[in-house]
Amino acid sequence: MTTSGISRRGALRMFGIGALGAVGAGVLGACAPSGAGSPSNGGDPKSKDFDFTSWSLNEEAAKPSIEKIIAAWEKAEKSTIRAVSYPYNEYLSQLTLKLGGGETTGAVHLDIAWLAAMAQMGKLVDLGSVAGKGGYTDVALKSGTYDGKHYGLPWNTGSIGVIANSQLLEKAGIKEHPTTVEEFESALRELKGLGGGVVPYAAATKVAQLKDIFPWMQTFGCAMLDGGKVTIGDDASVDAVTWYKKLHDEKLIAADVDRFDARALFGQGKAAFYDDAIIGKGVTSAQSKDKTLADAMQPMERPVLKAGDTPQALLWGGVIAIVKGKGQDAATEFALHTTTDRATTSEYFAARALPPSTTAGLAAPEVAKDTFTTEWTRKITSTATGSPFWQFAQNAQIEEAVAKQVQAVLVGKSKPKDAMKQAGEEAAALIKR
Amino acid sequence: MSTAAPPQKAPPPRERTGGRLSNGAFALLLTAPGLALFAAIIFYPLLSALFTGFFRQDLRLAGREFVGLDNFAYWLDGDFLTILEQTLVFTVGATLVPFVIGFALALALNTGLKGSGFLRGLFLFPWVIPGVVVSFLWMWIFNANYGVLNGVLMKAGFIEESVAWLGQPGTAMLAVIVTKTWASFPWMMVMLLAGLQTVPRELHEAASMDGAGSIRRFFAVTWPQVRGVASIVLLLEFIWNFQHFDTIYVLTGGGPAGTTETFATAVYQTAFKGFDIGRATALGGLWMLLLLLLVAVYLRITERKGDA
Repeated sequence: MTTSGISRRGALRMFGIGALGAVGAGVLGACAPSGAGSPSNGGDPKSKDFDFTSWSLNEEAAKPSIEKIIAAWEKAEKSTIRAVSYPYNEYLSQLTLKLGGGETTGAVHLDIAWLAAMAQMGKLVDLGSVAGKGGYTDVALKSGTYDGKHYGLPWNTGSIGVIANSQLLEKAGIKEHPTTVEEFESALRELKGLGGGVVPYAAATKVAQLKDIFPWMQTFGCAMLDGGKVTIGDDASVDAVTWYKKLHDEKLIAADVDRFDARALFGQGKAAFYDDAIIGKGVTSAQSKDKTLADAMQPMERPVLKAGDTPQALLWGGVIAIVKGKGQDAATEFALHTTTDRATTSEYFAARALPPSTTAGLAAPEVAKDTFTTEWTRKITSTATGSPFWQFAQNAQIEEAVAKQVQAVLVGKSKPKDAMKQAGEEAAALIKR
Repeated sequence: MSTAAPPQKAPPPRERTGGRLSNGAFALLLTAPGLALFAAIIFYPLLSALFTGFFRQDLRLAGREFVGLDNFAYWLDGDFLTILEQTLVFTVGATLVPFVIGFALALALNTGLKGSGFLRGLFLFPWVIPGVVVSFLWMWIFNANYGVLNGVLMKAGFIEESVAWLGQPGTAMLAVIVTKTWASFPWMMVMLLAGLQTVPRELHEAASMDGAGSIRRFFAVTWPQVRGVASIVLLLEFIWNFQHFDTIYVLTGGGPAGTTETFATAVYQTAFKGFDIGRATALGGLWMLLLLLLVAVYLRITERKGDA
């Protein structure tokens, strides 16, 4: 029998090291994030220091103005705010993981479409006691509400609508914005005739933003949800997708386009129409080499199926929510200040063309006199509605399920009727989960 | 008369083993800390994940509900075969194409042509760039509306209108394979070149003297000598590609219409976009079973090589 030459004492020592390693690993496990079950993400709620998480901090056009707000707060309150960001298209999943894992604290910028999903995790503070102090408009205040509780202080409230490039329209001989779907199609054909790689309508065709088809479905008469029953799959939704496919096949809209591609195409003067939020003007014109583009950008009422119908648009906006735990009190004050302080909201509007959510902020001369903003409000926001699926925590999955089916139609993998039936069934199943 | 008994040799002192360990026990002891760590940070989470496959569990919410084999049935009755087929198409394509390119370059560099050292370094360049960066780079190249590829092809007159390389079922998978090929052929080239350099030059000279041409020499001399390295390279690349994620996720996210969805992207999308951790881990479990088969083949091959 061969021996290793190690004594029992030495072996015990090594075993002890091994055990320590295992205990260390166990400790690591114990230190792991607390998980979705914990109602608070820990830490001292009275701490002056907190995190601020926002997708806008990841966008060049928005970052400086938000950093300015943060710096001003830090200086005034002698506190430290840690800025955290993820790209918009990854934001919801990243935030869900971090929030569930106990890593996110402080103030969190949320798209109003995500509020239900986040609120259901049980980690957001009910801001009912401060929401009333802000002087927010009714629509804005409602956008931060879920299940009767105020989980978000509205930062910006607007809508997603169609933006037109008046220079290209003029080039194609189109004197007025098309008001019906039929007129819109004719205008797209005229624009296609300009050649030079013009994409008449840079509509979303990638899954990430294909939820943009919802207002078109509503335009064709699909309610999407009626008394708790999903109506996607009805004739109106099939008609809408068939029409979208027709635009795709005639190359009046382009394949493989999301919001960022659409902005790039529009910025290059290669798209005459695209869907965006009111923020689009600032972002797209800032990244365009054409310094006259901002003046050429016009908000347009979404064309209707027949004259007299109500133009459809999707409400859009951002709220600031507060996570229970470290720095929640200071973060709440920061959120209230950022969304309501007149000087702050006006400066933010000047930098980003994002209208504030308070009555006083909207009445500020620089906002009230801005033609693009007032036109946008009149033509688009005035008839905008929230998605009926926002009330469900599974909203993002429902949007994606529908988007995938629409994309399957666009690439010829599925027929509109089959795809919409499937989309409706998937949406209904997700709601039941 | 007394006979004196021959002097007895004292028995050798008994070897004391009570305080010593056998080699086997010693080896076990040495590996114990590693095994303990492995158990804590790999094995336990793995078992826990597999166990989760039997529950309906939302990543965002506390609590879960036992659903038996429902999550597995969801995949097996649904998209499992489609995902498997697409994973295999990607895996085979992204293994064989770079293998052929890597082998061709290795053969060329092995001839000792001028500047081969510089070329070897140059060809390694794509390999040292992080996978996500490579994917973004190719995403811009393939962009339907302002990508370089469309620009070049249009200028050259090959196409009249932009092609949505990443937005069409036929071309999306091709684009993903091209991107992965660009990223992985250098590694194959280096491994195969190392194999080629072990082939004795005398064998080639003898074959030449016997009248063998270059093709005959390749199949009779070169290939038998590098077959072992080639099979390991192919199998490792196959296994890696079977689990590959970043290129596909960045370029297509599994689209359009799920036509580039592989196990890796499907598990990610289900877990982190759909937040359905139960179904995600069920698919992960099925995927792992298939991977275990590949690992068994790999071990079999390496064992054979070890025995030889």
